[in-house]
Amino acid sequence: MAFEPKVAGKWHAARSGRDIAAELFLTDDGDVAVRDAQTGAILVRSARSDLLISRRVGSVPRRIGFSDDSVFVCRDNDGVDRLLADVVGRGSRWLVEIERFRPRLIVLVAAVVLLAVGVYRFAVPLLVEVAVLATPEIVPELMSKGALASLDETAFSESTLPEQRRARIATDFLELAALTPRGASRFDLQFRSGGSIGPNAFALPNGTIVVTDELVDLAGSDDELVLGVLGHEIGHVEHDHSLRQLYRAAGVVGLIMVIGGDVGSGVQDLLVQGSALLALSYSRRQERDADRYSVEIMARAGRDPAAIARFFELMRARFGDAGNGAILTTHPATGERIEETRRYAAEIARSGGVDPSN
Amino acid sequence: MNETAPIREHGDADQAMRREPFVFTGTAREYFGIWLVNVLLTILTLGIYSAWAKVRRMRFFHGSTRLGDASFEYHAKPGQILLGRIIALALIAAYNLALYFAPGFSIVLVIGFFLALPYLVMRGLRFRARVTSYRNVRFDFEGGYWGALLAYVAGGVLTWGTLGVLAPVASRWIWSYTLGNLTYGGRPIDCDPRLEKLFGQWWLPAILFGGGGVLFLAGSLAFGYLYGSQLSDLVGGGGGVGTLTAGVLALIYVGFLPLILLYVVVGLLYHAGSRNVAVSETVIDGRHALASTLGRWRYVWISLSNLVATVLSLGLLRPWAAVRMARYLAACTALDTVGALDSYIDTITDEGAAVGAEYMDVEGLDFGF
Repeated sequence: MAFEPKVAGKWHAARSGRDIAAELFLTDDGDVAVRDAQTGAILVRSARSDLLISRRVGSVPRRIGFSDDSVFVCRDNDGVDRLLADVVGRGSRWLVEIERFRPRLIVLVAAVVLLAVGVYRFAVPLLVEVAVLATPEIVPELMSKGALASLDETAFSESTLPEQRRARIATDFLELAALTPRGASRFDLQFRSGGSIGPNAFALPNGTIVVTDELVDLAGSDDELVLGVLGHEIGHVEHDHSLRQLYRAAGVVGLIMVIGGDVGSGVQDLLVQGSALLALSYSRRQERDADRYSVEIMARAGRDPAAIARFFELMRARFGDAGNGAILTTHPATGERIEETRRYAAEIARSGGVDPSN
Repeated sequence: MNETAPIREHGDADQAMRREPFVFTGTAREYFGIWLVNVLLTILTLGIYSAWAKVRRMRFFHGSTRLGDASFEYHAKPGQILLGRIIALALIAAYNLALYFAPGFSIVLVIGFFLALPYLVMRGLRFRARVTSYRNVRFDFEGGYWGALLAYVAGGVLTWGTLGVLAPVASRWIWSYTLGNLTYGGRPIDCDPRLEKLFGQWWLPAILFGGGGVLFLAGSLAFGYLYGSQLSDLVGGGGGVGTLTAGVLALIYVGFLPLILLYVVVGLLYHAGSRNVAVSETVIDGRHALASTLGRWRYVWISLSNLVATVLSLGLLRPWAAVRMARYLAACTALDTVGALDSYIDTITDEGAAVGAEYMDVEGLDFGF
């Protein structure tokens, strides 16, 4: 043969650190062999199918393993691809080709940006919905038991409200809960003395709703106001807000961890912190949803749909207006919530679906 | 194991010490394509490709690092990495769920976690060593459970418990555990950074942090004194848990930002200094001595400017930043050798599982070699 294709490199005997300048070439019967570059002695010879050829990555040296565990290493990646074209995997060559630094990479950049935004905007919410549907009942049950137990241990003590006041609120509450799709039996109202938590109410994902004595006291004799707050909490339960928030946080962090395989640890930390900020905006949206829910369900129960707005006004009078909807808050600004709930209550009254004065 | 002995005598003709620098030959152009395709395919495959992506990334960085006339090589297989990743993520998820659902057992869980951590670290370091080779000869890691417990759990408690005053003691444990337990071709690698040298790298960052902390405290007290009433209007009003959280968050994000920046700078300074000390006291097979000559401030500058560039470019400058750092680290590392580097024989037969390594990866525990 006048022209004999070959690739220059180095050869290591099995397990040896020592290398010999060598050439890789094809024998006449189609095998692959390595010979000493100086003496021409054949060092190893194998059938093509027995070779272990490392995939090409950039200009990293190629490694070709023979069946006797000896290795031929060379920097001439193109030479190896030419010589062993039929053994080198197609897939890896396609990969190497698109990885090359060419103007067309801009298209890939655009694709990555679009996909990243798409995943965040659509895939994460979708996965959250699927996860919420797939969650067995026992999960919110366990979550709620655990949360209430640890709150009882750290902050709460037994309620000191008069028995008949509690009974009155509980009856009204069940009436309200009976209007939800899941029915009154799935809800459970608990009274606690709030301690350091103060006037507050919150919903646990299994339908347990806790209201503190301080909140009931704050309402004075206005039971309907308390009921408006409870309607808000029923909204949280009905919309599975806790589960959603949990899954969403897990999804976003998972996204950052998996896709950001190599963004550097500093950027990864920044992303996690940034996603915490975004989670707050998500939380504010949930609060608005729950406010609307309270207005709707109160209207359907034939009570004042704007009762919750009265609660916000009380809170504002007592503690002042905070935050103005700044990006660092879990709840929207109080003033904004008052306006929005009043507006929505009026809208419902006008549309005549339910007559609140009735 | 000692088959090396006769070959070594033969190879020792040249006894003069010479310095072999590490060189990083990869370019940002080259890595940009690899990185971008990695990200794209990872998204398209919902994360499954991340194992293949990691192998390509590691092969690029190992393969582009040269010492003498040969490069390092990375041998992990994507299947191993994927399995390791799945198990590591399942463990982390199970742990967090258990903490969430059974808060009563949280103490038991946390103790269990700290007892399991050394085992994961040990297995992770072993996997990483065994999938790394130089001149066809693989590294190995022979550290045990107790060494990892001392370095990572006891060292962490010591560092935080003394507010960083005894950090050099912990660094000494960590470096001698991670580097000193490596072997190459069955021959030992020793690393015994001296405590007084580590303290020599510690006082500058310590003074900076202490001084900065005092300044910050004085500044915020003065600020609080002058603007306290407006601040409490802004933060404390409104009532309810939501606004309280908002106030705390605002303080953390805005108020502590300079302090966090200072902490990062000081941490980088100390990391560079302790790397210099530890790597320079590392000897391979009793005769090849490593040397590290990072400029501490230069290291801080490269780290921070890399971070800023990456963020401002929405990640697109990350390949450039990663290559820039790899270049600098390699350029500041060298091996003073006596005799030949090629007289070693590979002794590794089994790589083990990748769970520990992937756990370290996911949790961001990183030990550059």
